[in-house]
Amino acid sequence: MDLTLNADQKDLRAALRDWLADAWTPDRLRAASDGAPFDRSAWKALAEMGVFAVTLPEEDGGMGLGTADTVILFEELGRALVPGPVTGTFLAAGLVPGAAEGDAVVTLLDTRDALQVIEHPQDADHLVVIDDGGLFLLPVPQADPASLPLDPLTPVARVSVRAEDGERIGTAEDAARWRLLGAVLTASLQVGAAQGALDLAVRYAKERMQFDRTIGSFQAVKHLLAESLVKTDLARAATLVAALVADDPASGDLREAASTAKLLADDAAAGSGRTGIQVHGGMGFTWEVLAHLYLKRAWVQETVFGTAGDHAEHLAAAF
Amino acid sequence: MDLRLTPSEVAFRDRLRSWLADVLPALPDKPDRDDWPARRVYDTAWQRMLFDAGYAGVDWPADHGGLGASPTEQLIFLEETARARAPYVGANFVGLLHAGPTIIVEGTEEQRAAHLPRILRGEEVWCQGFSEPDAGSDLAALRTTAVRDGDHYVVNGRKVWTSHAEVADYCELLVRTDPNAPKHKGITWLILPMDTPGVQVRPLRTVVGSSEFSELILDDVRVPVSNRVGAENDGWRVAMVTFSFERGTAFISDVIESRNLLEETVAIAKKTPAPGGGTLWDDAALRRDVGRLAAEVSGLWSLIRKNVSEAQAGMIPVQGASVFKLRFTESRQRIGDLASHVLGRAALAMSDLPGASNARVVEDRVNTLSFTVAAGTSQIQKNILAERVLGLPKEPRWT
Repeated sequence: MDLTLNADQKDLRAALRDWLADAWTPDRLRAASDGAPFDRSAWKALAEMGVFAVTLPEEDGGMGLGTADTVILFEELGRALVPGPVTGTFLAAGLVPGAAEGDAVVTLLDTRDALQVIEHPQDADHLVVIDDGGLFLLPVPQADPASLPLDPLTPVARVSVRAEDGERIGTAEDAARWRLLGAVLTASLQVGAAQGALDLAVRYAKERMQFDRTIGSFQAVKHLLAESLVKTDLARAATLVAALVADDPASGDLREAASTAKLLADDAAAGSGRTGIQVHGGMGFTWEVLAHLYLKRAWVQETVFGTAGDHAEHLAAAF
Repeated sequence: MDLRLTPSEVAFRDRLRSWLADVLPALPDKPDRDDWPARRVYDTAWQRMLFDAGYAGVDWPADHGGLGASPTEQLIFLEETARARAPYVGANFVGLLHAGPTIIVEGTEEQRAAHLPRILRGEEVWCQGFSEPDAGSDLAALRTTAVRDGDHYVVNGRKVWTSHAEVADYCELLVRTDPNAPKHKGITWLILPMDTPGVQVRPLRTVVGSSEFSELILDDVRVPVSNRVGAENDGWRVAMVTFSFERGTAFISDVIESRNLLEETVAIAKKTPAPGGGTLWDDAALRRDVGRLAAEVSGLWSLIRKNVSEAQAGMIPVQGASVFKLRFTESRQRIGDLASHVLGRAALAMSDLPGASNARVVEDRVNTLSFTVAAGTSQIQKNILAERVLGLPKEPRWT
């Protein structure tokens, strides 16, 4: 049993983190949230870092690594608020030509959702529909994007599609596997969003002076931030374990582990995102401070691959 | 990175499992919770069985009579004993988890020889004399004095929250030896034999109604200087050795217990009729509450495995331990609330009502109120995380 990062994993994480710090600076995130077009060259560069091909075999241009390595990298994507359907493109890599290389952007839809809303309708090249009967590849339907998406970095559109109109690219078992893996990957994006919101708030709490003291010296503020840390650490441990179970099914129950991870990570991201705004005070309510982007991303991600309520039901069903 | 046990860890687990399966059915019934002498006999007899089977002091170094088990083996030991519902460490807690480890690190050869083998064999029970009426979270503000008189210290003061004091042979005692030094610099760690004249034990009745804890009144108690562990006025540092033990492994079996309690709650819900037909378990809101708590318990187990992995790799999981304690104690209390809500009005008694199995759940709900207080309150834990992990500035202090 070993849940510590090895040297390769630390190097991989550091390389991606450094690259993201340059690629997705606060100014670039602000520009993107003010309507700058989707940056395909940044997407391609991300693919060249290998993030969509972590688990593909090396002979297919992948890194030949596991889900555990993937969640370490996805946490960084979440922390950097990278715009784009990273989970859909990762899952489609190897099945949809060009996804692994960053040439094809793949967005998702799950037919279990009562209302069909897709993310990045104008940026994606393909839509994969996850259905109880299998995986289906469709062209992205023409639909007007919402004029005011909740998360300015996640444009959305309501669509109306039927899975059977697409090309069947995976079985019912594949679809079930995608749902579980998608929950684990989204959990890691949520852990990243939670950590990003916490980092920003901690930095602000160390600088902002009121009553002649930095606000981070007040216990009321400290305790809010400590609670975010607790939620984030718990979710990170659960997500890592879920990823390890995905890599080695004999070591646990993936259904239980994935539900645990997604539920706790949704909780961490929404909680930490809210705290991030609260600690910034009035500034947290402005468009200018990035705190809102973490919470809005958390709110987007808590709707995909099962809500916390869905996962709680799954966990209860095991009793 | 993986979740698998090594072949030697699997062998350790299988050997332990088969031993537990052999010995547990033959154990006598657990004594009444307020019968302290009987509890001592029960707990120390279990410790002796562990000793005879080679399982005493799993986390103690082998050259001090322990098993010298790796962190992963310690986890296996605690997990397997909890799953098999073996007796808890009970009256041996302070000796095995506080005093013994402190003496291993800081004691003299004589002190080690006098106490360590006896603790391991269940022949010596210890209690803890740290907290005082005016020194709780601010433990270093303790006022019990020890004044040197020849080759003795003369101790005067009061200690509270002393578990197992009525049946203990020794007390790990923190006293103030230099009233003029800064508060952390004037404290000394002493071994107090509980039969010393001037030691008076007064049971404290807790909210559970039991006398789990006592107050110690120390009136001109003479403790030999040879009973000092570590240097005079260095007791704060010596005491911190035990705190790192307390926060590392103390709750592993409680997480298993949490899962058991959730399972019992569901079992009760499944057989309790709901007002409109069906059972309480048909209520989606209840199922979601259970599912959410199940996620927390499962996440906590992941966190334990991560902390243990870090310990195995030689890291000290300070962050992990505080994170764990904060979240576990809060989840644990919510499980007690949920279980009691399922019991409905059967939750009005801490003893079993006819036809209901309420006693354990209700007593547990009340008992776990201490969890967010004992061993560092949740508020202190949050300060630790905010200051040591997040690097936020310390509160202004007035000492």
